[in-house]
Amino acid sequence: MTSAASQRSSAAVPDPEERDRDRALLMARAQAGDRRAYRRLLEDITPFIRALAARRLRETSEVEDAVQEVLLTVHAIRHTYDPRRPFAPWLAAIANRRIADQLRRQTRRNLRHAAFSLQHETFSVAEANLEDARSDAAALRAAVEGLPSGQRRAIKLLKLEEMSLKEAAATSGMSIAALKVATHRALGTLRKVLGSPRRST
Amino acid sequence: MITTPDLIAALAADAKPVRRLLPPLARAVGWLAFGVLLLSFLGIVHGLRPDLADHLRRPVFVVGTLAALITGVSAAVACFLISLPDRSRLWVLLPAPSLAVWVSTIGYGCLTDWALIGPSGLQVGEAFRCFVTLALTSVPLSLVMIVMLRYAAMLRPTLVTITGSLSVAAITATSLSLFHSIDASMMILIWNLGTAALIVTLGGALGPRLLASLSPQRMPDRA
Repeated sequence: MTSAASQRSSAAVPDPEERDRDRALLMARAQAGDRRAYRRLLEDITPFIRALAARRLRETSEVEDAVQEVLLTVHAIRHTYDPRRPFAPWLAAIANRRIADQLRRQTRRNLRHAAFSLQHETFSVAEANLEDARSDAAALRAAVEGLPSGQRRAIKLLKLEEMSLKEAAATSGMSIAALKVATHRALGTLRKVLGSPRRST
Repeated sequence: MITTPDLIAALAADAKPVRRLLPPLARAVGWLAFGVLLLSFLGIVHGLRPDLADHLRRPVFVVGTLAALITGVSAAVACFLISLPDRSRLWVLLPAPSLAVWVSTIGYGCLTDWALIGPSGLQVGEAFRCFVTLALTSVPLSLVMIVMLRYAAMLRPTLVTITGSLSVAAITATSLSLFHSIDASMMILIWNLGTAALIVTLGGALGPRLLASLSPQRMPDRA
């Protein structure tokens, strides 16, 4: 079959109507269980979905997330497509819906993670406003570097990269119990080295 | 996260044959046929209200019941249409005219009945039997509709739930007006408007989550 769908670059296809007919045909065959037709269809529509998503979402990872959500939805409800009707409106409706969902999630996340402005960084507690915070940070970094390797890795993964115990265990290959012990010891050592009686978190 | 080419490969590998949906009108007719079957069953078991012949001579009753029935049918058609991604969401307006007529007759009947009978018309026995009819009509209709429309959770859950619930409420109201002599204004108001509002509100609040939990499994899951 010399279908438009076989061409990866959809921009090269001259006639949108013919392309739509091809896609409808591929989907009809996919509904019947033809995996090769289905794969070609999904590969053919992905650039179109990506372009649609890129128009409304900023970050590449968000765009790719939306593309995958659209593909998953197309897969889950592929039985709702009627091959006698044009394919493009069916796909566009699903894509717009999922992209809007992604946009909503992104907005919600941005609301939760409000960026601090300069004014926010002045706290009422006196210690928080120390001028020498920078040298403190340097001292802390040096102290962390001075830790034994197991403790250093635990501190870096759990405290500096803020991984969960599970993620840190998966990354480092250490057990959760070992990570806990190493963190506890590392904090003790750091407290001693930095000479502060306060409990660090 | 899985890459998009990998996802496509996984989806293609999972492409089992699927049965295409029938056209939305045919599905709406199927659902309504189930409703007719249910109402005929109730009619046989419960019997029509004894004063139905009298009521059929009252224009307000006839117009109200017909409007409720038309609302039920048109809302069902609208619901099955907008459950599909490529149909216009403006179909949601299809039941609006008959809904307006139905609601206006409820108001009228309620006012005239109030003046004639007074609030003492609310009887516990009749209320309970009404509630049984209500449950016997609306619960099976809702369940069948949820099963038929579970895929819509991923597209327009709220619109589908609202039109679907409106359809169930209107058909339930029709069955109530055929089977029960509920002349008291309060009863009509509570059952007709109250059930419609309750089903629409509950449907609107719980429907999306309910439909989402019933929606087809999205294979394969991304880790």
